[in-house]
Amino acid sequence: MFPGATDYRTDGSDDTGRAADSEDANFVVVGAPLDASTTFQPGTRFGPRRIRTFAETFDDYDRRTDQYFSDCGVADRGDVRAWDDVDEYLEWLTGTLRDVVRDDAVPLTLGGEHTVSLAGARAVEPEVVVSLDAHLDLRDAYDGNPLSHASVMRRILDDTDSVEELVVLGARTGSEAEWDRATEADVTVVAPEDVAAWTAPDSLADRDVYLSVDIDAADPAYAPGTGTMEPFGLEPREMRNAVRQVAPHATGFDVVEVNDRDDGQAAALAGKLLREFVFLKAADRS
Amino acid sequence: MAKQQQEVRDLQEGSYVMIDDAACKINSYSTAKPGKHGSAKARVEAEGVFDGKKRSLSQPVDAKIWVPIIERKQGQVVSVDGSDMQVMDLETYETITMRVPEDQDVSPDDNIEYLEMDDQRKIV
Repeated sequence: MFPGATDYRTDGSDDTGRAADSEDANFVVVGAPLDASTTFQPGTRFGPRRIRTFAETFDDYDRRTDQYFSDCGVADRGDVRAWDDVDEYLEWLTGTLRDVVRDDAVPLTLGGEHTVSLAGARAVEPEVVVSLDAHLDLRDAYDGNPLSHASVMRRILDDTDSVEELVVLGARTGSEAEWDRATEADVTVVAPEDVAAWTAPDSLADRDVYLSVDIDAADPAYAPGTGTMEPFGLEPREMRNAVRQVAPHATGFDVVEVNDRDDGQAAALAGKLLREFVFLKAADRS
Repeated sequence: MAKQQQEVRDLQEGSYVMIDDAACKINSYSTAKPGKHGSAKARVEAEGVFDGKKRSLSQPVDAKIWVPIIERKQGQVVSVDGSDMQVMDLETYETITMRVPEDQDVSPDDNIEYLEMDDQRKIV
């Protein structure tokens, strides 16, 4: 249970297996502990649990927006258990997230490897995806696997009908083919040094946006608990600024690639950015 | 209502199922692997046959579920009167009144196919 959230699965489940209070939630946390294609350090299967655990110390009250997290209508449906058939799992996860969207709530997915963002994008059907990431994730396949975490943005761009545009904030590495793909008109890459001054373009204002936060966008000094660390990254405050810019336009959110190989730094940052998203979005609604 | 009971595991895409007391046609059927705990669950996304509304359910695969019995019938348009039309069932020759679908042009002597469940009908 994410601290400050209510249980999405109450005792009053109706005969369709949905929770009785699901329709009252504005946001629904869904854990997606997929850990199938991690290519260096594994452990994203522990990500959702870590993020929930290290969010326990955060105050309920947010001074900046004058709101209590526990008043924002956040529910937690627990984890969608992952198994090794990624294609099948993504289909199942997409359906679960689509239920959240149909209940007029914003899904908040806790990864899990970045591949789970494909389910988020399929469920939310955004026109624009904004991704905070050290990597472009635009490979057509990695080690022959088109559903690798290193290919997720390519899958979202090429295989999700609704998506017209991708903005990658903080990207600092990729293969030559990925950088070539990134030069096309539907991709914008904002270098780490430019993220602090980045503001959401007007083109986001009237379009549905999906925000994906890969925790490795942060410099490894701040978030060592992730699978593929990439130095020269973002400051946490820069990531927070980006989340604040995008949140008012976003209809779906995820934070991914947190593993258990640090003392909680990556998970704490992930939980804090999720809360930042909720506070901004909730303030924007009221 | 004409319906029969089945197990969730017997459902498939394209078949019918009752969700929230409405007959629905299944668009997608996916299952979750249970690991060492719990039982396999299935998720069904479906669309109301007569109201077009999207619905979903998530249930263990061994749960019992109601499946509506929907008949596909042939009919012939006898007459059209504004938004209503008289249709003769080509098997029983009984005449029934149906609403003319908004997106279709019908004229007398047209042969139509329709789905029927109790007193609900939908032209296909």
